[in-house]
Amino acid sequence: MTQLMSNTSYLQGLLATGPNSSTPGPDWLQARREEARQQWLRAGLPTNTDEQWRFTDLSLLAETSFSIRHSAAAMAADGRPAGSDGAELVLINGKFSVQASRLPPAPVRVACLDQASGAELATFENLLGAQARPAHHGLIALNTANFSDVVLVEVPGGVAVEQPLNLVVHSVGAEPFASYPRILLKVGDNSSVTVVFSFTGPDNLTYLTNSVLETYVGAGSRVELVKIQREGTSSLHIGSDYAHLDKDVRFQSLSLNQGGLLVRNNVTVTLAGPGSEATLNGLSMTAGRQHVDNHTMLDHARDHCASHELYKSLLAGRSSGTFTGKILVRPGSQKTDAKQTSKSVLLSGQASMNSQPQLEIYADDVKCTHGSTNGPLDEEQLFYLRARGLAYNQARAMLTVAFAADVLARVWQPALRGTLEDLVVAELHRLEREEF
Amino acid sequence: MPILEIKDLKAGIAGREILRGVNLTIAPGEVHAIMGPNGSGKSTLAQVLAGRDTYVVTGGEVRLNGRDLLELSPEERACEGLFLAFQYPVEIPGVSTSYFLKAALNAVRKYHGEPELDAMDFLKLMKQKMKLLDMDASFLSRAVNEGFSGGEKKRNEILQMAVLDPKLAILDETDSGLDIDALRIVAGGVNSLRGPDRGILLVTHYQRLLNYIVPDYVHVLRDGQIIKSGDKNLALELEARGYGWLEEPAAAH
Repeated sequence: MTQLMSNTSYLQGLLATGPNSSTPGPDWLQARREEARQQWLRAGLPTNTDEQWRFTDLSLLAETSFSIRHSAAAMAADGRPAGSDGAELVLINGKFSVQASRLPPAPVRVACLDQASGAELATFENLLGAQARPAHHGLIALNTANFSDVVLVEVPGGVAVEQPLNLVVHSVGAEPFASYPRILLKVGDNSSVTVVFSFTGPDNLTYLTNSVLETYVGAGSRVELVKIQREGTSSLHIGSDYAHLDKDVRFQSLSLNQGGLLVRNNVTVTLAGPGSEATLNGLSMTAGRQHVDNHTMLDHARDHCASHELYKSLLAGRSSGTFTGKILVRPGSQKTDAKQTSKSVLLSGQASMNSQPQLEIYADDVKCTHGSTNGPLDEEQLFYLRARGLAYNQARAMLTVAFAADVLARVWQPALRGTLEDLVVAELHRLEREEF
Repeated sequence: MPILEIKDLKAGIAGREILRGVNLTIAPGEVHAIMGPNGSGKSTLAQVLAGRDTYVVTGGEVRLNGRDLLELSPEERACEGLFLAFQYPVEIPGVSTSYFLKAALNAVRKYHGEPELDAMDFLKLMKQKMKLLDMDASFLSRAVNEGFSGGEKKRNEILQMAVLDPKLAILDETDSGLDIDALRIVAGGVNSLRGPDRGILLVTHYQRLLNYIVPDYVHVLRDGQIIKSGDKNLALELEARGYGWLEEPAAAH
């Protein structure tokens, strides 16, 4: 399979061609796509021999032939999260659907590359691929070569967006297919916004979501990104999220994983201005044969920045997880304060977890700490709860919910925090029912 | 019918026998104290009665209100009215004391076919019980035992006991780590729970606690067996003379 993953005709087969490929677009776009195609043909899919992909085996991806779906015509009514009444942008198979969306009120702007012109098009040209470079790994190259559309969400400077913006990424289809969502988020100086990304798709179907998000945060802004990954039970989800932070930024992300069979979340944050703070949180709840790989990279490119990472996993069945936390402190990035924590609870004897910090420090006046714990639920705690009359399963459920609580408590938006808590409790009850 | 009846109980851990034939009967309304030197099996007895599965019962029988205790799970024992106040109360980050106690109380009520208490009634009950132990309302929103001082942890145990209203309360070294003020409060809480229908078993190393909670019977546990029983004066004698003088009678038995 490893051979196939670099076989030219196989690689060619995954590239978008002919009338299905998106409109040619401006010259710069065509050039970037061509570069990405060449990069993809050279690099192919990452394999286990690549250190950064050691614990995640993409051969499942190579075993399936995916068609590329551009159509936004089919819209499954069921996949939609109900009850949200704020702005909601809907992407179907990577294509922005105006009909399905509720656009946010001004001054927040939403644009698509397909229809962009003038200054807007220049924004696309400046931002698209400035962080997510095809050379990073084959899947960035593949996304760049294949995306159907690019959605730009822009919050101008000096704007506090009260309600969270929802961005729903649906995958829709009945046979194996791939979609390549591509999103740009630009937040001006001294603004604040919360964006919730929800990924959904059909169960029991092998499909690929290969998504790339590039976020640009202006000086003094406060940005929170929440990703709710609820892909279908047999799906592959590769998400590559980049964020570039100017000075004095408060940035927080939460990656909530419950769906998908094979999931890889790449989160790359560049602290590009002094005085900024990035907090990356994660919570994964897996069962069966699910595999979730959280791969984070904090690039401390400037001095006086702080980063905090808290990634937690609850693993049932034969599921497995990986957390890799890379922290790069560049020369001159003095007074860096980086803290990284990974904690996992193995709910069954067959579940497994790998955690590895990767620290590269090139400055001397810095504080970097990391810690990781993996193990079953605490027997002492379980006995204490049972000794007060709580049934075994109820005691376990209480401890799993408690384990997840501090990650959710970090969410800034109170209403959103409540919604997420409900979602997590429901998910943990599902794990409880399915297998222990 | 006695509340607790232990006959020739043998139990141990990893092939090592710790309890080597314990006999003890507690009738309703009685307060018993088990004393003994370190390693005599006092805490093992408490844990075995509560159903801790790290200990293996190898012989004997235990009845709680006539019911075979050893066949019950820890939660069933709790629902049947057995309460263990832990020597080392466990910290549970992420679970608030009120959420925990409400879940526990409702689990016990459900077991007995009683309706669950709603939030209002629960809060009313809590306020009443917390007054008993001189506890601040902020206790309820704090995570169970997390960051509690030694005294707060022990008070929290007695609060749980007051709320769950057990038939048999086992207090494992409840006096350890308490200063004299905290000891008074805790003992006051326990004394207020003494009653004609309840049995109390105090497990303690020192006589000090028994100045505040005066027992009806005192037993000395040594090497996994009760080697001497008496009234409260036995505790005073132990305080004065230590455990050494008991060696001889034990051998003669």
